[in-house]
This record gives sequence, C-alpha cells and structure tokens, in this order.
Amino acid sequence: MKKKAHVLASILALSVSMTALAACSSNNDNGNSGSASPSGSAGSSGSASASTGAKDTITALLPPVSANFQNNFEQMEKDFNAMYPNLTLKIEPASWEDMTQKLDTQVNAGSPPDIAFIGSDGISKYVQQGMLMDISSAATPDMIADYDPAPLGYMKNGDGLYGFPAYVSVQSIGGNKKMLEDAGVDWKSVQKNGWTYDEFRQAIQKGTVKNGDGSTRYGFVFATSGVTSKDYLNILVKNAGMPNAFTTDHKFAYTSKNFLEVLKDIRQMIDDGSMPKEISSIDAGKRWNMFLTGQTMITGKGLATFENSAKQNNAKLKANDGSAVAGSIPVDYVVLPVPTFAGQPAVSQAAVDGYVTFRGKKEPTEEHKANVVKAAYFLDSGKNMAQTNNELFLGQITKSARDAAASMTTDRDPDNLAAETLLESKAAPARPDIPTDLGAKEIKLEDEVIVPKFQALLAGEISPQDMYDAVKKAAIDTYGADGVVQD
Amino acid sequence: MAQPPRITTRKRKIKGDGAWAYAFIAVALVVYAMFTAYPVVSAFIISFQDYKPLGSTFIGLDNYKDTFGDSLFWKSVRNTVVYTVLTVPVALILSFAVSILILPLKKWLQTTFKAVYYLPVVASGVAMSVVWLWIFDPLPSGILNQFIGWFGMDNRNWLGTSATSMFSLVLMAWLSSHGTSIIIYLAALLGIDNSYYEAADLDGASFFQKLRYIVIPFLKPTTLFLFVTGIIGSFQVFQNAYLMTGGGPDNATTMVGLLIFNNAFKYFEFGKAAAQSLILALIIAIVSFVQFKFAGKDVEY
Repeated sequence: MKKKAHVLASILALSVSMTALAACSSNNDNGNSGSASPSGSAGSSGSASASTGAKDTITALLPPVSANFQNNFEQMEKDFNAMYPNLTLKIEPASWEDMTQKLDTQVNAGSPPDIAFIGSDGISKYVQQGMLMDISSAATPDMIADYDPAPLGYMKNGDGLYGFPAYVSVQSIGGNKKMLEDAGVDWKSVQKNGWTYDEFRQAIQKGTVKNGDGSTRYGFVFATSGVTSKDYLNILVKNAGMPNAFTTDHKFAYTSKNFLEVLKDIRQMIDDGSMPKEISSIDAGKRWNMFLTGQTMITGKGLATFENSAKQNNAKLKANDGSAVAGSIPVDYVVLPVPTFAGQPAVSQAAVDGYVTFRGKKEPTEEHKANVVKAAYFLDSGKNMAQTNNELFLGQITKSARDAAASMTTDRDPDNLAAETLLESKAAPARPDIPTDLGAKEIKLEDEVIVPKFQALLAGEISPQDMYDAVKKAAIDTYGADGVVQD
Repeated sequence: MAQPPRITTRKRKIKGDGAWAYAFIAVALVVYAMFTAYPVVSAFIISFQDYKPLGSTFIGLDNYKDTFGDSLFWKSVRNTVVYTVLTVPVALILSFAVSILILPLKKWLQTTFKAVYYLPVVASGVAMSVVWLWIFDPLPSGILNQFIGWFGMDNRNWLGTSATSMFSLVLMAWLSSHGTSIIIYLAALLGIDNSYYEAADLDGASFFQKLRYIVIPFLKPTTLFLFVTGIIGSFQVFQNAYLMTGGGPDNATTMVGLLIFNNAFKYFEFGKAAAQSLILALIIAIVSFVQFKFAGKDVEY
C-alpha cells in the first residue's frame, strides 16, 4: 500500500514537472504561430506549394468593436473557410480592457496573432519592436483600390503597410439641442461653419446655470481623468495649428506659442466656472452620465455613436424602462465641431482603428503573408465592414462596404450625419513619415511630462506658463533645441 | 570494523526514502527554478540589454545610468517611501488594536470578526477600487465629500490634486486589508500562556500594564514579521496607484512598482524595467536587513 502511494505520488510529481517544462518549451516552438500552422503547413514554409493552396491557419485577436461584432465570429470563420477552403480563420475574442495586455504579452513572447484589431496609433510602437508584418507586397492592387486613401495612410509607417483600416472615428464634442437653443447658440450654423474659442467661451458661459438646489449645470464638461486627459489636449491643439506633435520637418510642435495659448484658454474655461473645478477627476463614464442627466450642455469627447446611445436612453425613458440611466432626461444629441484657437484652421482628431498584421519570431513566408492579407481584407471589407460601421454610426471607408451598406438602414440624424462628414473631411492627415524612434520618445514625453503637468494644470496647481515651460524643457532635453519649434 | 555497516546504511537510505524525498522536492525545485530563479537571472541579464523580442542588444550599464539620472525614478522612490511610512505603522497599530478587541470574545464571534476583516483580502482589488473611486467622487455629491460637508467643508477633488491624492491612497490602505495581520496577531495572542496574565492579576496589574509587560514583548516576533513583510509589500505597491490615480496628478502617486510596470508594458523598455526592479529589490533587501539588524536584536523565536 505504502509502495503504491510512493509510486502514485512520484508519477504525479513527474507529470507536474513535465507539464511545466512542456508548457515553457512549447511556447518557444510556437514562436511564430502564424507561419507554422497547426494544420500542417510547417513543411511548406519553403515556398514549394504556393500555387496548390496549402493549408494554413490565420489567427485573429478581436475586441467587441460593435455590440454584435463578437456574436458573428462563428459565421465569419465559416464564411471565410467557404471562400478559401484551404484556409482556417481562428478568431480569439478579447474584451477592450484585455486587448492591449493580451496582445502585448503575446508580442513580447514573440508569438502574436496574425491579425489584431488595434488603434493605428499603436503601429509605430510595434514597428519599433520589429513585430509587425509589412503587407505592401502581399496586398493586391484590387484590395488597395477598395480603401479610401486617407484612412489607409494611417496604417502605414515609413514605406510599409501594416494592415487595413476599419473606420475613421472623428473625435469631437456634442451638445444637448434644447440647452444649446436656450443659450441662443445657432448650432446648425456652428455645425456648418465651426466656431472660434471666443464664440465657444461665450456659449458655454451662457449654458452654465445655477440650479435651485445649489448644484450647477455646466456649459462644458470634457472627460479628463486618466487616459482621457490625453484626448482633451490632443483634440484641442489640433485646432491651434498643431495637427500633429511633429511638424512636417519633424520638429516637436508643442513648444509653439499656440500651445501656451490653448493651455491658457483651458484654464480660463475652468476659472470662468463654465467647467467644473473638479474636471481633472471626471472620467468618460461620469461626464456621459452628467450629459444624460442634464448637468452639462456640451460634452466631450463626442463620438458618432453617442447619438445612438442618447436615442436608446430616450427610448427607454419613453417606455418607462427601469434600465434607463438614473435621473436622465430626454436628450437630442447634436454633433459639434471643436472651436479653433489663435486664428488657426479647424483640423479634426480622427481615430483610425484597424486590422493590424503581426509576425512571429520566424520570417513569414510569402504564402502565409498572402493568406493573412486575405483574412484581414475579408474581415475588413464588404458586408463585414458595412455591418460593423453601420452599428457604430460610422461611415464606410471601402467601396465594397459602401455597396453592401446601400441596402442597410440607419436611424441617423441628417444634420449630425452632414456635420460628421464635414469633420471627417477635415481629419488630420496620416503621418507615416514620422520615424519610430521620434514617435516612441513622444509617447514617453506625453505620458511622463505632458499628461501629468496637464492634470496639475486642470487641478489648478500650476499655471499654463508653468506647464508650457515644463513641456518645453523636457522637449529640448529629449529632442535638442534644434528638434523643437521655437516661434 | 565499525565502518562498513555504516556505508551500507547510507546506501540503503538513498535508495529508499531518500530517493523518494528527492523525487518529491524535485517538483518544488523545478517550479522554483522556473518561476523564481530563472526570471531573476533573466531579469538580471535583460537589465543590460535593449530588449527586443526578435533579438536584444547588449548595452552595458546604460539602463542603470538612465534610471539613476531619471528624476521621475527618484520621485517615485520618494512617493513609495512616503506611502510606506504613512501606511505600514498605522496598519500594524490598527490590526493590533482590533486583535486585542477581538481576543476576549467567544470563539464563534472571534471567527465571525476574523472572517469580516479578512473579506477585503479575498475581494478583488479591482472591485475594491471601484468602490473607493465612488467614495472619492470629486463632485459635492460624492460620499466622502458629503461626509466632510456635514462639518461645513467644501468638496475636494480627492484623487485629482497633488495635495490630497497620496492621502486618499493612504486612507484607502488604512481602512482596508488588515485581515491577514489581524489573523496572525490573534494566533500569536492566543499563544500567550494564561499563567502570565494570572500572575499579573495577582500582582494587581492594570490592563495597560499587562499590555506593556506581557503582550507587547510576547508579540515582538510577530510584529517584526508583520513589519518586515508589510514594508516589503508596501514597497512593491502597484495596484492602488494603477487603478485609482494612474500615478497622477503630476506623478504625485507614481510608485516604483507602477513606474516599472509602465516602462515594461507601456513603453516596452524591458531592460530599463528590469534594472529598476533589481534596484527596488536591492532597496527592499537593505531595508529588511536594517530592520532585522536593529529591531530583531532581542527577538526570541
């Protein structure tokens, strides 16, 4: 009996050790999950069977891009396999929260998925890691021609193309129609002609009202807590003559005097009382709640899909549905442009997300590249793109999706649609020319100096001049005096 | 004549139970080697490299030089020290006081309180942070703001200003997560023989005298243990700052743990992160050594 227990225990011990070891070693073996596929294309990594259509598996890590997106995965996999019988598309769903962490872990282990849905602003980071797959040679001219050139530019870095764009989401601001009209704001004219900071300041001052119970209805609330503080500043500076952190001759732009002007105006709106003094702690969820509950006239940032969210809540209120936001009121969401600063032209902040293509430790074969491109294009064109973008109230950016969307209906407000289209036409152009090392330094400068100082500025702890000086000093330390704008 | 039998005994031992013993500790050894020893050695090597998944380059001591010349690193060390100084001693006093209060209770009530105090340890840190974010809501309607409103004070932007953000994290630490310390203290308190209290009673000792001359000296090893592990844990603090403030505002709550995390997983500077984590390990080792050297002198185990 005792002997049996010994044997059993040692078998158990051995298997635990072996499992652990096997787990580690298999990780190394699958270094490039893409090219050496489980379906047996490992042998084909030479190039011999390209024309015969050897079996291959393409993996994709995808977040819930739209409400129904992840429900369609099974169908997408089937459709893809029906279209290319030798290819298998394996989609791994991930929540938005897990997306970056999962992807980064896989990238740093040298075994990322073939395709991941991420923001185009992440491309430079992964290019610098050497983990993105350039598909410029594998994407067919037909595919390239299907995409609008402007968003496609966002997927480029240097000469390389690292995936296909899914949509252009303009980040702007949005208003409560009734409150805007009560404050005497001609919102239709603003949608068409834009507004200057002074006009905007007057509007939000008029929109700020002291309620009977001592609380305040604010003219303007922009989420600035945590990561969203980046958005606020980035969206505003675009309209102050700085469409990008770097000028066309690759000088860091946020040392310009216009940057200081924007900082002064940001502080002024808080000091006016048009924005809450606690603005630095208001996050995205809170400010949307404030908008729906009538505590704000204008909210930021505003996305196209907010019109839909507001409409859904209105419908719940009408139906006396208990799941409507507590204390909310019916709201007509109006898309508004961001005001311009220092007499500069309007430039919209556009978030271009898309299907980015990764590579593993081993150099991918041309055949595998072509297969990955087929999968990315399949996910990101025609019916699939049309459905997703329609759900998000976003425009289609491929001809094939526009054709597919023609038969789909959306409940979009025509004024908002026109305003959104106008904003899209003014989107900041893509900047694939910015070298990855400059880009990486900028991300760090932004995270370690600009955002922290901006938080302090919003909290009233430092003056606009203090922040400007701190950013300028850090920028000169990073890029040298010749590497920054001095005006 | 006496030696040969001894050799045979040894041989038999290695063959029998000895061999089994080695087989069993192999599990722990393999797990230790893989998940502790290997990562430490690997981190040491990476700290001299510019890490890239497809091939790192050796850059000597650059990561260490960068770290020592980085004002944000020193600011994060300062923040971590401030956090530690404010939280660890108070946490010890609070858990000691709670344990003393629980001790005289009946067994079932003791267990109930232990469970209640241990609950936050089991609860997810993320869920706890959400609750605390709610408490620290900056608007006048926020829970803590309503509370201070009763005393006629204006609402505060708890997590959004440098003046109160660190205090808010400290307050959060003060009011949660004492469960482990309370359980350890209680176990130690129950280990003190009743005869000491009886003798003290005969001498007419008061409650505080018993505390001063019996309880505190007997609990010294426990206190030292909790103090050392508390400081180690506090130096590695990451979750609160990450979830509550993200290190802001103006890096007022950026702790070393958060900085290392950012360098590694936000900027992919694994070399620098590895260097910083080794420096942190060294700082913790020195602090622990000093604690044992001075506080552990007259501790009998």
